[in-house]
Order: sequence, then C-alpha cells, then structure tokens
Amino acid sequence: MRQAIVRGDPSTYPDWFDGKRRQRPLIVSRWVPIAMVGLPVAVLLAIVIYPTVWMFYHSLRDTNITGLFTGNHAYIGFANYATVLGSERFQDSLIHLLQYLSFGAVLQVILGTVLALILYEVVRSNLWRTVILILVVLPMMLPPSIVGVLWRFLLTPSNGAVNQALLDLGLISAHIEWFNAGISLWSIIIADVWNWTALPFLIVYSGRVSLPPAVYEAARVDGAGQWKVVRRITLPMLKEVIAIAFILRFTDAFKFVDLVYVMTSGGPAQSSELPTYIAFQRGIREFAIGEAAAYAIIIFAISAVIVTLFLQYMKRVMRAQGLA
Amino acid sequence: MAGEAGFEHRWRHVRLLFLAFLGLWLLFTLFPLYFMAITALKTTAETNLTVPTFWPEVFAFGNFAAVFAEATNFDALVDSFVIASLNTVLSLVLGTLAGYAFARFPRQAGGENLAFWILSNRMFPPVAILVPMFFLFDSTPWGTDSIWSLVILYLVFNLPLATWLMMVFFRDAPPELEEAAYLDGWTPFRAFFRITLPLVLPGMISVAMLCWIFAWNEYLFANLFVGTDVRTYTIVIPTFTHGSQTLWNLQMAFSLIAMIPPVTLFILLRRYMVRGLSLGVVKG
Repeated sequence: MRQAIVRGDPSTYPDWFDGKRRQRPLIVSRWVPIAMVGLPVAVLLAIVIYPTVWMFYHSLRDTNITGLFTGNHAYIGFANYATVLGSERFQDSLIHLLQYLSFGAVLQVILGTVLALILYEVVRSNLWRTVILILVVLPMMLPPSIVGVLWRFLLTPSNGAVNQALLDLGLISAHIEWFNAGISLWSIIIADVWNWTALPFLIVYSGRVSLPPAVYEAARVDGAGQWKVVRRITLPMLKEVIAIAFILRFTDAFKFVDLVYVMTSGGPAQSSELPTYIAFQRGIREFAIGEAAAYAIIIFAISAVIVTLFLQYMKRVMRAQGLA
Repeated sequence: MAGEAGFEHRWRHVRLLFLAFLGLWLLFTLFPLYFMAITALKTTAETNLTVPTFWPEVFAFGNFAAVFAEATNFDALVDSFVIASLNTVLSLVLGTLAGYAFARFPRQAGGENLAFWILSNRMFPPVAILVPMFFLFDSTPWGTDSIWSLVILYLVFNLPLATWLMMVFFRDAPPELEEAAYLDGWTPFRAFFRITLPLVLPGMISVAMLCWIFAWNEYLFANLFVGTDVRTYTIVIPTFTHGSQTLWNLQMAFSLIAMIPPVTLFILLRRYMVRGLSLGVVKG
C-alpha cells in the first residue's frame, strides 16, 4: 500500500516528485562509480563475509584445533547449536548481557541526556561549558585496556582507592569485595558507565546546541517556563538525536568484550561472562572451533536483527533530514 | 498543572540541585583520572600500602623515565602509531572513493541499501570474524604477528565509518559547483580534486582523527594477533609486572603518556568530531 503523502515531509513524497534527488546525467563512464564502490566492498567481503561463511561452515562440523589443521572434521548437523543453546553457561551469559545492556547502555543514554541538558540549560558561561564538556568526555578517549586496568586497580578490594574513599567518607564500614561472584559484573558496568556515558552526552549536547533559537524565543514570548520548554520543545526535538545515541551505544555494547577480558576474565566462576566473551574463550583459548563458531553465528544472527531494525530507523531519520 | 507552576516557582532551588548533580558526575569522572595521575608519581612501595594514600608521600618523577628505560615500551608506541596511521590512510582513501560515488552517483554505485550494508559492518561483533581471520593470517608467510594483519583487520570498523561519513560530507557539498566546472571543460577528476575535496576537507580531517583514535585504542585484535615481533601499547600496559607484583605506578605513567595523542586531538577538533561520532546525523 502507498504511504499517504504528508505536506512538508519529503520522505512521503512519490519518487517522481522528489526534485532534490533527481537523476543527474552521469559525467563519467558508468564503470567509474562501480569501481569506486567496488574496492571497499571487496575489502569488506574479504574480511567480514569470508569469515562469517567460514564460521557457519564450521558451526555445522565437529572441528577442533587438530581437526582444523588435518582437515579431519565431520558434518554433525546442528549439534553445536544444540550444545550452545542448551548450556547453562550460555543462558547465564544472556542474563548477564541483559543486565549489562539495561544498566550499561540504557543508563548511559539517560545519564548522558540529563547531563547534557543540565550543562546547556543551567551553566551559563561559555568557557565553563567548554571546560566541563572536555572534562566529561575525557574518559572516552582512553582505550578499553587502560580503562580495565585502571578500574581493576581502583576497585582492588584490599587496598583499592574506591574502597578507601568510601571508608573515609563513612559510606561503608567494611571493604566491598568488588570482584566476587555477583558483584564483578557490576564492577564492569561501573567502569563501562564511566567510560562511555560521554558519547550520548556529547551527541545530545551537540544536538541541543544546533536546535534553532527562534523556537525558544517564541516560547519565551508565550511565557512558557524553563521546565515546560525542556519537556515540550527540547526533548521532542531531540528525540531522533537521543535515539541515534542509543543505537550507537547499544550496538557497541552488544559487541563489547574488552573490559570483561581485562577486568575479570569472565570470572569468578563465569559469573561475569557475556556471550561474545564465551565465543572468544571457546575458540581462541580452548580451541573448540565448532562450538565457538556456533556461538559466533548465534551472536551474529541476533545482532543482524537488531542492526537491521536500527538501520531502518536511521534511514527514516536521515531521510527526514534530507541526508539520505 | 499546579505542580508544574510550583516547579517553575522553585526553579532556583532546582537549578542548584542540577548543578550539584553535575558536580557529582564530574567527581565520578575525575576521581579515577586524578588517582591515575598521582599513582603515576608514586613509588612502587607506596602503591602497595595496605591503606592507599591520596597524595604521594614521595614524588617519583622517575617513573616516566622508567617506562622508557625499556626500549620495547617505546617501540610499542611506535608500532601503535604506525599501525593506526597506515590504517587511517587506507580507510580514508577507500572511504573517500566510495563515499563520493555514493553521494554523486547513488544509483550507479549500488544505492542506499549498499551504503547501509557497508555501515552495518561496523556494528557487528568482532568475535564473529576473530577466529577465522586468525587462521587465515596464520597460513600466510608473514603470519599473524605483523603490523599488516592489524592494519587490515582494523578496516573492519574504520572502513565502514570512513565510507559512511565521507558520503554524508560529500552530500553536503553542492554538486552545482562541479557542474559549473564541467561546463568550463574541466575533467571530473580535476573538478573533484580542485573543488569538492577542499570543501569536504574539515569533514575529512575529523574522519581521519576518529579512525586514528579508534585504531590507536584498539585492544582485542591486537591482543590476539600480535605480541612478539609487533606489540601495540594497549597490550603492553597490562603486562607491567614484577614477579607477582603489578607495577601500578608504571602502568599508570605509561597510560598517561598514551592518552596524550587522543586527548589532544579531541580538544583541538571536538567541533568536528561530534559529527563523526554520531555518524553524521548530528551537526556539531
């Protein structure tokens, strides 16, 4: 069914009406654009598609490390998938992932949005705004390995800085065992929030800066208070920007494994493992190639669904902005 | 509505509350960095006290020199720099070509869906390609332990980013200027280099910086693929130990040094970077 045409929304116009994106006469040979795009596509096919096909092939076979080199592996159907999906380790890691996504990614976007709006609405001087912006964004410039090392150091239970600071402030009476089962994942989440809240913060802040001031002048003339302006004008206008920040954080968080690796190695007793970490561990450290491949393909399938949905949304946003 | 009016009335207090929240967040952000900095100035004995100190008893400025006393540590920075730079150049060249084709000849270049497919590669988990690529590089004569394995692998996340962003920037550059040049008898090649490229140069710089920072900070691939002949600084830092004792002060000192390039780039180019970090959707 055709979408209804909405006045002022170019994404709903029929193709023939779209004057801006009309076909321009091609000035170069028609092979030139194909070659220009072909190079990167070939590179990506080699480094992304080839490995994915390889993984899919081995996820259906009982490959281990010797079998891989001697070519001695047999077709076993979907046994690897059954092993993975049936294992408690995988099911636990899914729960960890859910916990990490909701308290990591979602919290980061909320905090980043709140902080960005506070910085813009409450801090008046431009110098202070810039200084605070740079300070808040600093952690994002650190590589994950340093963030992991730093937080492992800060959270050392016996003589770590965080425990000591909390003791000095009288907030706790005994050392918190940050890397015990049940807490270690929270430690990772804290480090991740510290590291990445800056990204949604920066994106939302820039989005707020680029909103047209005329709208706000109109609101002021109408006598709307600051709270009302934020709720009725700023947030609705920043909806897409916040959504993009969320998409970026979510997809990054989904493939995230570095901090788990550096801070806890998934431990203790697999209590902070995420699916990506298990795939890594099974394939690289324990050489169960077939099973690791099944993990990878399952992760790949889940993220394919998520990424497709997100990209559909992005496409719509960019069309509305005339960018795509 | 009464509540809302009351809220407006109390705006002054609320403002203070918000400022306090911002202050708390700054504390949370800066405390780890502060502790990192003072740890880098402590002696090894002081970092292992049962009660940690929040101000160094003795300033050991020698830590920074000690980091580079071992030549391999400096080599690690060099390796990281070379890998990040080569990868950036490669991503930028390929990304600019494809981005231009997508922006100017969308239909002939495969259209929007191909562009979105390229972008989607950035969002997929690297573990899916880690194992096969390891064995692929292992079977080549130069093995996994060379700068080229990382230069090529980092294209996984940097090439989609560069292609996508360059496409967005080229769309912003008006095609009419090029068309005027064609009418004057310029070749498309000349028009591209003389007119359009200068227009997108600021965007290009931001893409280069972003790619460079992502490659400079990468850990997972580096940790798996290299380690003997080639060592990036990200995999060297966690290995600073003396027996079973972790040399926190040296780790932190090295981290501070390694932070300098990305932080400097960000402070100088933050205006451009926002556009890049948001995949071009938010104008910075």
